[in-house]
Amino acid sequence: MGDDRTWATSRFRRAFIGSLIGLAVVAIAPFFLDIYLTSILIRTLFLAAVVMTVDIIWGWVGILTFGQSAFFGIGAYACGLVFTHYGFGPGWALGALAIGLIAAALVAGATGWLAFFHGSSPLYASIMTLALPIILTQVIFSAGTFTGSSSGLSGFPTYYWSLEVWLWIAGVFLVLTTAGGWLLVRSDFGRVMIAIRENELRCAYLGIPVSRIKTALMIAAAIVTAAAGFGYAAFSNVVAPELAGFQLGTEFLIWTALGGRGTLFGPVVAAIGIETTSSWLSGTLPFLWQLLIGVVFVTVIVLLPRGFAPLCTGLWRYVRPKSRPFVLERTLALDSDSRLGQRASIDTPPLLIEQLSRRYGSLHVLTDVTMTARASQLLGIIGPNGAGKTTLMRCISDGNERSDGMVKINGNDIGRASPHKVVEHGVGRSFQNTSLFDSLTIAECLMLARYRLDGAQLFRNKTNLALSQPALDILSATGLDQRLTEQTKNLSHGMKRGLELAMVLASEPSVLLLDEPTAGLTHAERAVIGKVLSRLTREYALCIVLIEHDLDFVREISDRVVVLHQGEILMEGSVDEVVSSELVKSVYAGHQVEAAE
Amino acid sequence: MAVLALDILTTAGILFVVSSGLLIILGVMKLINFAHGAFLTVGGYTAYSVSAAGYSPWLSIPAAAIFGFVGGLVVERLIVRPLYDRPLDAILATWGLGIVIGQLITLGFGRGVQFVPTPLAGTTELLGVDYSAYRLVVAIVAVLLVIAMSALLKLTRFGLNARAVIMDETLARGLGIDSTRVRAWTFGIGAALACAAGALITPLLSVDPNMGLPWLVNSFMLVLISGVSFPSLFVASLILGGAQVVVSTYANPILGGMTIVVIAALVLRINPKGFSRG
Amino acid sequence: MKIPHLVFGLGLGLLSMSAQAQETIKIGIPVGLSGANSVVAPSVVQASELAVEQINAHGGVLGRELELIIADDESGAQGAQRAYDSLVFQHRVDAIVAMETSAARNAGLPIVNRGQIPYIYTSFYEGKSCSPWMHINAWVPEQQVAPIVDQFMNELGAKSFFLIGSDYAFGRGMLEFTREYVEANGGEVVGEEYLPMDGSDWTAIISQLRSANPDALITSTAGGAPNVTLTKQLRTSGVNIPYGNYAVDEGTAASMGSDAEGIYIAASYITGIDSKANAEFREALRAKFGDDTETPNELSVPQYEAILAYAMAVEQAGTTDAEPVVEALSEVTVEGPRGSITMDKQRHAPLTMYLGQIQGDGSVSVINSFENVDPGEQCPQFAE
Repeated sequence: MGDDRTWATSRFRRAFIGSLIGLAVVAIAPFFLDIYLTSILIRTLFLAAVVMTVDIIWGWVGILTFGQSAFFGIGAYACGLVFTHYGFGPGWALGALAIGLIAAALVAGATGWLAFFHGSSPLYASIMTLALPIILTQVIFSAGTFTGSSSGLSGFPTYYWSLEVWLWIAGVFLVLTTAGGWLLVRSDFGRVMIAIRENELRCAYLGIPVSRIKTALMIAAAIVTAAAGFGYAAFSNVVAPELAGFQLGTEFLIWTALGGRGTLFGPVVAAIGIETTSSWLSGTLPFLWQLLIGVVFVTVIVLLPRGFAPLCTGLWRYVRPKSRPFVLERTLALDSDSRLGQRASIDTPPLLIEQLSRRYGSLHVLTDVTMTARASQLLGIIGPNGAGKTTLMRCISDGNERSDGMVKINGNDIGRASPHKVVEHGVGRSFQNTSLFDSLTIAECLMLARYRLDGAQLFRNKTNLALSQPALDILSATGLDQRLTEQTKNLSHGMKRGLELAMVLASEPSVLLLDEPTAGLTHAERAVIGKVLSRLTREYALCIVLIEHDLDFVREISDRVVVLHQGEILMEGSVDEVVSSELVKSVYAGHQVEAAE
Repeated sequence: MAVLALDILTTAGILFVVSSGLLIILGVMKLINFAHGAFLTVGGYTAYSVSAAGYSPWLSIPAAAIFGFVGGLVVERLIVRPLYDRPLDAILATWGLGIVIGQLITLGFGRGVQFVPTPLAGTTELLGVDYSAYRLVVAIVAVLLVIAMSALLKLTRFGLNARAVIMDETLARGLGIDSTRVRAWTFGIGAALACAAGALITPLLSVDPNMGLPWLVNSFMLVLISGVSFPSLFVASLILGGAQVVVSTYANPILGGMTIVVIAALVLRINPKGFSRG
Repeated sequence: MKIPHLVFGLGLGLLSMSAQAQETIKIGIPVGLSGANSVVAPSVVQASELAVEQINAHGGVLGRELELIIADDESGAQGAQRAYDSLVFQHRVDAIVAMETSAARNAGLPIVNRGQIPYIYTSFYEGKSCSPWMHINAWVPEQQVAPIVDQFMNELGAKSFFLIGSDYAFGRGMLEFTREYVEANGGEVVGEEYLPMDGSDWTAIISQLRSANPDALITSTAGGAPNVTLTKQLRTSGVNIPYGNYAVDEGTAASMGSDAEGIYIAASYITGIDSKANAEFREALRAKFGDDTETPNELSVPQYEAILAYAMAVEQAGTTDAEPVVEALSEVTVEGPRGSITMDKQRHAPLTMYLGQIQGDGSVSVINSFENVDPGEQCPQFAE
């Protein structure tokens, strides 16, 4: 625990020292810059803070947003409108700022509701963010003299402080928001953001409320952006529709892409560099400058998807090969309060399926499936390829999947709940393929699995991970506990399977859905997993539903077996009954199953 | 009422023609071509060049289609193909391409407005009203295009391969379909449709370096809402275009301009599949 | 022609001063080299260069040469801020003479306020923009609307009007003033419709126009594309009532060919103005730029005259200091291609307005002219 504190302190110390250096640069800058560069820089620093938020939204969470300019415009217009039409003074200024931030937050929330929901595609979300500034600009245009329409508003009363003061305000704003952003992306919550970027679907099945997190981040970014817009308008004494336009929104993206998305500092540096350079160059080469930016942008997207920042850090590593990226050490511990299996009760079956059907158009994948799985029971589901096994798993873990019928988890009807809600009812699901979160470490993956139970710290990191005994067992049996700081993309197939299972267990489910957990494993690895599964049913009273191809493995560990064929339950019974059944043999042998009639 | 009906029909026709190139690319390649607006513009300038060279304005449409197809193949090879597994980056790269095309046009033709003569001027009488003849032509072209594109997808070898790629790309490759080639062709056809559409609508518009941009967002909305089928794109154009005309006529044209975006966004929020299925 | 005389006179006056080389007087020209205004920007730059060359050829002002510094405002607010920052703080210009969009002007004004230098705005606009540093020598709605509406009501007997505009400050400002003017003169506005600035499909509006069946149509769209698409679509829909257009210029009309035929326009400058000053101006332009000469227009000519006005004001004030020059700008009279112009009406200028009609070959025939049309109440705080 002491460890925890020192590390956190050191992180905060780094942020603190970085901020101090930044603030020192800002403090002395006005004395070295001429009045021209100073005034260009003031506006650019406000824009750079916006680009920083674009990097968090796009570079870290993976939402390609064209709409950040809308929030910038909202902040700017809050300033322009209030000072022009209502009044000016410290009270009015604070009120206008508050109006701008609240309006931006509301619009961001509405956009989030519209753009992010389980099953929305990233393309769709992107187009929504594109529509936002276009509609907002239209509104500004049509509001006539109130907003000044195309001409904008100018010459409203504002604080005519000296340029030095404004540079300090803009600089302090940029340094503090960037420091906040840096702490955020380096925190445990930052790991969650990366996980959403890399594998959103998997996050949802770990019980992480992906859409809510995305919306929350949109709102936070919108608030920072609106504050920047407010400062920009108050300094430059003018607001115009283009401040809210999608042209500016795409410029933010261009700067972010060139600077290096997901690097936080790269986009900030790029924004400052490109804005000041374009002030110099666009006058002499108006059209060529735009062309040049366009060509460089396309080239960078195609050839250098991480922008120019990695080139710089790469060079740094080349010069100082010893400086390696810092990886946080985390320790494992036994979670003494583990609730694994506690929900199991004999009276209500953990999993109850009634007349479940799934159709794709005229194609019936599942028809009238009715079954019950009990606590302390390992239910095997077998059937030939295309029998609907994986679809059944999907229908249990996502309320939107089934066409008809009912699924109850621990007595709760899942209705049309999205996956992360179903997880809350006690379902844990592992997947057939082993795509995890490539750039996260093993410890981070486990932390992710605990998100629903432990949450994630916004600006800090937790160094100890409390897990249930079976999860710890799997980790030690597969040797993963020795490599907690290893990135998952470096793991062997068997280790990935082990981690997958450990993650599902870490989320403490009462109903465990396993889709071919032993595919591609060696005999020894299979035995380890089999042992753990048996123990989970016996000692922790878990209800396990297992899809398997390997009949021998099923026979070894299952209590009961359901045979699916062409979307219907062909047979249900004990292992021996099923294995000796002629019907099942014929199905597996590929015979016609008229005998079933 | 007759005027309203004709307005709706011809508006839907224009929207359909303008969006069809985007639809086939989204359907087969699962990516949104942000250079679509620039392709429309290229079509407009092709029409301008053809008529400036003294040829019949009707020739400009096939000329734009050919030009677009070849250009589309080049763009696909250089920019889109390296980004197949990064669809969001493909959006950005095509957007950047749009900027580049716009600036090249500006450098070549200047920023000003160019004029293309209307091949079919004046009005014709239909349903008891005088109506713009050229708009009716565009509507007829739209109907023919629905039939032609559906036939292309249903009846030709390319269409069969494309549908296989739409359904399951890995499987299609397993069946020996050269999916890379299908994609290249798709992008070429999409670009050809966009350029031809640009040339087709030019007589109703002016030709300038930004002429394609205002169509972009409405086109995105229409294709997102109609999945991968041309008939459903036509239905979507008819319904949303109709809504736009009705709002413009009875409320005001500024609200009308936002109608398609707002309705499409709400429909997609409630049913992410849009009109493509139920 | 009065200008060379006048400049010549200035030159003589300067002989008394020491002829030693002095620092130039810098005039900043923010202009939309890129963006929407880039179509007209070259003609504005040429007009500015001609004015400076003529003044320098006659000895400059106060013995100092004029120097132009041109900056791209990208036709918008953000670009204008960069351009003004560069002109005011980097190049430290003595004055700014600008033909720009209203958004760019509004964005530049706070920087002019900081820099405290004289500023002449040379583009027609929607009116009522006021700054202690600014003068305006182009028209406002009060001057533009009357000629067309009067013509329609008095000569063509129009009673009902339909108004169509682009949804932006100029479009709305012009049409709102038109509505008031029509109603004040006993006419009726049967429809007033706007399309977003980048909108290009006028179908619904044209259908409404046809069902309203007005006597005359007046449009105020953004220049360039919206203007062209509206006119084209009006023509393909067979609309042939009297049509007044606030946004079409001679160049556009010429290239629109037969679609533009019959459109009424009002302007303070038309190339065909039959005056010695205009003939000499056009000749000088051609002599300087040869085949590259851009046709002078409603935006470039005021720019030319504004630079002359600035030179005269500096001469009269005897200094380039801002306050005396600004004061003198309200007093000096320029004899230019548009006639004699003084910016003495609340920083705005009474102008001679011409009513023209576009002919089948794209040329503009002048139907009527109106002497010294007053700009009305624009900035009452500067009333004398």
